Amino acid sequence: MGNYIRVCDIEKYYGNGSNVTKAVDRVSFEVSQGEFVGVMGASGSGKTTLLNALATIDRVTAGHIFYEDTDITELSEEELSKFRKENLGFVFQEYNLLDTLTIEENIILALTLQDKRKKEIQEECERMLRLLDIEDIRDKFPYQVSGGQKQRCACARAMVNQPRLLLADEPTGALDSRSAQILLETFTRLNRMMKATILMVTHDAFSASYCGRILFLKDGKIFHELVRGERSRKEFLQEILDVLSLTGGEFSDAP
Amino acid sequence: MLRKLIFRNVKRSVSDYLVYMFTMTAVAAMMYAFNSLIFQDKVKNYMETENMLGAMIGLATVFVVLIVAWLINYMVRFMLEKRSTEFGIYLLLGMKKKIISRIYIRENLLLGAAAFLIGMFAGVLLEQVLLAILFSLMRMEYHLSFGLNKWTILMTVLCYEGCYLLAVFRCRRKFKKMNIHDLMNAGRQNEVIREKHETVKKLLLPFSVLFILAFWTVFRFLSDMVQIMLFLTGLVITIYLFYVGVSAWIICYVRKKKNGIYRGQNLFLLRQFASKVRTMQFTMGTLTALFTIALMGASIALMFTDYENVMLEKKFPFDVQIYSPDTDEDFAWARKILTESAGPEEIFQYSIYTDREAQVNFWMLTNLRSFGSIYRSPDGSLNREKAEKMLETEGIYCRYDTYMGLSDYNHLRRMLGYGEISLGEKEYAVQIKKRLEEEVQGIGNDLKIADASGKGYLTCAGIYADAFSQDGHNGGDYLIVVPDEVLVRMQPFYSELTADLKDSPPEGLAEKLYQAMPGGQREAKYYRDASSEGNNCLGSDNIISYTEDVLVREQTIRNVKYLLASIVIPLFYIGLVFVCVAMTVLSVQQLSDSAKYRFRYDVLSKLGLERSGINRLIRKQLTAYYLCPAFLAALISGKMILQVSEIFVRETGVPTLAGMYFAVSMALFFGIYLMYFLVTYIGFKQNVEGKQTVR
Repeated sequence: MGNYIRVCDIEKYYGNGSNVTKAVDRVSFEVSQGEFVGVMGASGSGKTTLLNALATIDRVTAGHIFYEDTDITELSEEELSKFRKENLGFVFQEYNLLDTLTIEENIILALTLQDKRKKEIQEECERMLRLLDIEDIRDKFPYQVSGGQKQRCACARAMVNQPRLLLADEPTGALDSRSAQILLETFTRLNRMMKATILMVTHDAFSASYCGRILFLKDGKIFHELVRGERSRKEFLQEILDVLSLTGGEFSDAP
Repeated sequence: MLRKLIFRNVKRSVSDYLVYMFTMTAVAAMMYAFNSLIFQDKVKNYMETENMLGAMIGLATVFVVLIVAWLINYMVRFMLEKRSTEFGIYLLLGMKKKIISRIYIRENLLLGAAAFLIGMFAGVLLEQVLLAILFSLMRMEYHLSFGLNKWTILMTVLCYEGCYLLAVFRCRRKFKKMNIHDLMNAGRQNEVIREKHETVKKLLLPFSVLFILAFWTVFRFLSDMVQIMLFLTGLVITIYLFYVGVSAWIICYVRKKKNGIYRGQNLFLLRQFASKVRTMQFTMGTLTALFTIALMGASIALMFTDYENVMLEKKFPFDVQIYSPDTDEDFAWARKILTESAGPEEIFQYSIYTDREAQVNFWMLTNLRSFGSIYRSPDGSLNREKAEKMLETEGIYCRYDTYMGLSDYNHLRRMLGYGEISLGEKEYAVQIKKRLEEEVQGIGNDLKIADASGKGYLTCAGIYADAFSQDGHNGGDYLIVVPDEVLVRMQPFYSELTADLKDSPPEGLAEKLYQAMPGGQREAKYYRDASSEGNNCLGSDNIISYTEDVLVREQTIRNVKYLLASIVIPLFYIGLVFVCVAMTVLSVQQLSDSAKYRFRYDVLSKLGLERSGINRLIRKQLTAYYLCPAFLAALISGKMILQVSEIFVRETGVPTLAGMYFAVSMALFFGIYLMYFLVTYIGFKQNVEGKQTVR
């Protein structure tokens, strides 16, 4: 369990010569199976870079990332896409649904890329539509439905292949508070019912309070970690806000 | 500052719309090169005919200007749409609409000017190529001479400017209606996919295919202008409906969740294609029309080129040939000129005879395929009245049958290097054009030609189809060759003189001969009336038929080639420009889409589609998108071209398979196609790969 995902001492530099920016600076942590981990940080703190590295979309400058026994920093381009296909699911702030496909077809597409059979595809698609409560909008195009519904469709698409890790980058960023709440509850449900491992990047304390553990990132380094444990969500939220106020409100560097 | 802004924007546009720039450069180059032919004095001076080539290119230019104006207008609107956010920011900063529109129009003019300047350089080179081709057609020596002709430049500038004026004219109005909010949001708008009544729209596909099939069959029966206009209107509507049908068909297929969509990336491809066709149906229809015109133009041009290459030499086998309607003509005037200026190897004078009957003419009129049943009565027999009227007025055949004596015939055969033939006392032979050889095989059974005694009949001993100048000189289409004794019963019909020259004839020999001709004949040859002897004719060649009383082989071939070139060159010109314009629209559309919808491929890659899979997907998508209008155009034009080329082959006697013209023009077409396809594919890939980032 302990070695489900291991991030070992990764670094990511941008630029060259004297003009080097350390986006991620020697970060290490572990994620256990079935965990719901949040990563918080101000803009520029390196949280998206970290997510990209975990998502195999970006390569690290140094360090290793293990998914169980696989070191993804050693994989080739082709191996990486195969790895992505089999192990990862993505949810983004901009939904990233394909606009020419209906809600249902967006989910089917993810399944057809796995070369599954028609019957299997239909069953799994059905299941996800029901689970995320988007059955009645299945034939609508993304532009015809609300942001929350779009994001749930994106979740369905990400989860339909039962990935080892669901990566979410500011998933509530473009949602109103009600939709955001529904989405986060969906995440919690996925986490509990499907035993999904989730890594969510956010700078919103409310969203973060749904996580089981939170890593705080600043200037590319982890400077704090909070574990929810048996506390209620409200207590946890208060604790997060305390950490934030300690560091000067929304991570501001101002005194 | 504004100037700097304009300059920067132009620089960016050039790199964003390289394909468009390339096409505009090519258009400018082609305009210059083809226009230069209008002002080409060297060729003009050699020709007796008016500046036919110039006139035809002028006509082609009208179409070219219109279509290029459409392209520019399309691109101006397109770029405006893509840059709407930018214009929104200008407005937000407090810039006046008038100034923005001025910036934009200036940018476009600058872009055009840049393409024009490069195009002019390319045009000078292209001009040399074109001239070299033209001169070698005319069998004239050509020396490279680079230089700019001021008239050509002026005309090219005017044409090019005309395109821009037509295109930018309506641009100002668009700026007036601008609104900051709409502009800022335009870029963020996705294509709205409207799906309504798809099952009904779906029926349009089989309907339009049926219509196209119907058009194929109707095409051959078109006779008057009204019918042709109706036909074309129907065709254009069908083309547009086809695209509505195609996208509806795909949408229905996907909606029904047929097996196909569960395989590989089919779902993505089908949806992508359907939505693109749906939003672009009007443009796609227009492109199909352009492709169709280009294909037809190229095919027809190829037909004439083929004729030039294969048939012309055979059409005029004698070095010099002179016709005189006067049976007593002694051709002293012609002999004098020929001996003085041309150095003849041999001069030979002979008569064409007639029996003042028309049985052979009637046989031709009722049996040749090109006449069909025009001269038959409903029961299939000869419609005598109609046939006689035709012989008197139309001049395809002489009024009476044309005969030649065996000794004259053999003499002429010797001059041309063919073997002599022999005939028995009771035999005759038929000398016919090659293209009619098959059709007259049964003629021997029907003709009743009296022998020398007038009591018996001759039998047919053979049919000869060597090239024999049978467009009015040695008969029209045919000659009946009889033993010399038979001629006693006949009378001379008209006189002919042929000459075999040692060297090439001097320039202007035909003119000189015409000048020396006895008065009246020159004027008389242009019209026929019932009172004339009816002893001149043209033969039944259609489409290309060229006859003069004085034929000087070398000059005539050059003349005909020049005439043919004035059809072929403008057709190629139009075809090239149309294809380039259509390809540019397709290409620019795809490239800008690849930039705007990069995230689609990004998503696919995150879903685990590997790079090679994405490349394959792009290839498939582009291929479908490129082939769809081409396929429809080939479908529509293919059958028409085949029919036209069948007629062409039949009427001119070119020994080519009718399908060849279509095949070759398709090959030409796909050459250009492939070039644009590759450029688009590479650009597309770069756009998709270049900025794969997660926000």
